[in-house]
Amino acid sequence: MTSAAVQTREGALILDSHKLSWHYDRVAAWEAGERIAPVSVDMSLTRACSAMCSFCYAMMQESQARSSIKESHALNLLDDFAEMGIRSVSLVSDGESTISKAYVPFIQHAAKLGINIGNATNAWEWEPEKIEAVLPHITWLRFTVAAGRPESYAKIMYKGPEHTQVFDRAMSHIRYAVELKRKKNLPVTLGIQMVLMPDLKDEILPFAKLGVDLGVDYAVIKHCSDDEQGTLGIDYSQYEALHPLLEQAEAMSNEQTKVIVKWSKIKDGDKPTYQRFYGPQFLLQISGSGLVAPSGMFFNARHSKLHIGNFTEERMKDIWKSDRYWRVMNYLASPHFNAQTMMGTLPIQHYVSVALDNHLKGIQRIQPGTGEKPLHVNFL
Amino acid sequence: MNRIKHFADIETPVPGSAWTAMDERERVEQVLTRLGESPEQFLDLIQVVNAKADGQVVLHMKQSLSASQRGPFLLDLEDCLRKIDQALVVWLEPLGDRNSLRNLRGIEVKAS
Repeated sequence: MTSAAVQTREGALILDSHKLSWHYDRVAAWEAGERIAPVSVDMSLTRACSAMCSFCYAMMQESQARSSIKESHALNLLDDFAEMGIRSVSLVSDGESTISKAYVPFIQHAAKLGINIGNATNAWEWEPEKIEAVLPHITWLRFTVAAGRPESYAKIMYKGPEHTQVFDRAMSHIRYAVELKRKKNLPVTLGIQMVLMPDLKDEILPFAKLGVDLGVDYAVIKHCSDDEQGTLGIDYSQYEALHPLLEQAEAMSNEQTKVIVKWSKIKDGDKPTYQRFYGPQFLLQISGSGLVAPSGMFFNARHSKLHIGNFTEERMKDIWKSDRYWRVMNYLASPHFNAQTMMGTLPIQHYVSVALDNHLKGIQRIQPGTGEKPLHVNFL
Repeated sequence: MNRIKHFADIETPVPGSAWTAMDERERVEQVLTRLGESPEQFLDLIQVVNAKADGQVVLHMKQSLSASQRGPFLLDLEDCLRKIDQALVVWLEPLGDRNSLRNLRGIEVKAS
């Protein structure tokens, strides 16, 4: 699971694996029992979102209280990240960050600090002025595109198939970004992502075709996560029947656009190989409510024992240094925690957690990275 | 020796026969008794919703605690319950999404 790179015109793109080899300093320090800073943070600047995607894990991520993240909170957070040694931030997670007032200043401040930024968005509120302000400072942009056909897109992501204006709006903004990247020769990777629920098989090929038509760098198809109680009702055994269609979609790749399937996660299904959950020490998640918890899998109030703090109430660097932080991280690495039964399926930290577990067990040791670095090397 | 290496291969404990042999009411009583004996006065802040044979103890918080307080509080509480059985784990009742738009989907977060 370390060489799943796809060659693009701009370099090797790793979406279906991890990049721990290029952060071997942290791996070695962690293995030696040191308190390490995460390499990367996945977070949102808000819990709000104007979409209502049927696959959205945010529906299962309501914590006890929401705090409003103000611009000052967001900029202080970045200053703390820089001091801690965090190398990248992905604006993904449980809200649509582009609608936050802190969105543009956050990205511009991160660039000044040398922290790489990635962003997943539906692009509905991502107008040209905003695009111009942020695109030069972003490493990658990934647009959530639930389906390739307007009616299906509107049905899955909004109120119904008749609301195709959301599709048109998103496509217009994505095309603007593709053109701006080309015109200014920006070093940003643009991709679209489909979250595949087993009943959406008819959307696979139209999605791949849309990616090619848009001229984005990649179109990726991934599994759908569910919580440990099966709230979304995903039947992982049904994915196998989709493999031929997924292979057909991959074959639609061309020189400009790579169609990529996250085979590892789709095949791994709902039961991880690991019981201990080491990934959050390297890839931390923060909610759009300001909640700092090790993983988005634990944002819900149900998992309150794993809630560490809120960065709108205290500085992130103090949270990270606290005994609370390390007590929770050590809990996840102890026999008291079992990732197979106590959390949802296929978390953001899945690839990293598999690799670290295999590393400790001696199944496959992580080796220091050699040769040319892959694209987005600071995003695990 | 670094403890993380030591723990990688260890199976998560499962409840012993003394716990699994009890019925739901007896398990809840055991939990209440243990928490009541603790000097931390856990019962001032929580109610026990259920205590399952598989070791999961579900709680309701009577009042909200900040994120920095509730984690340590609940981990301390879990440590206390481990004196009954090493395999006991605590969870709170889940909360549903407060986003009014997403709620139109009608998805309810399952409690168990």
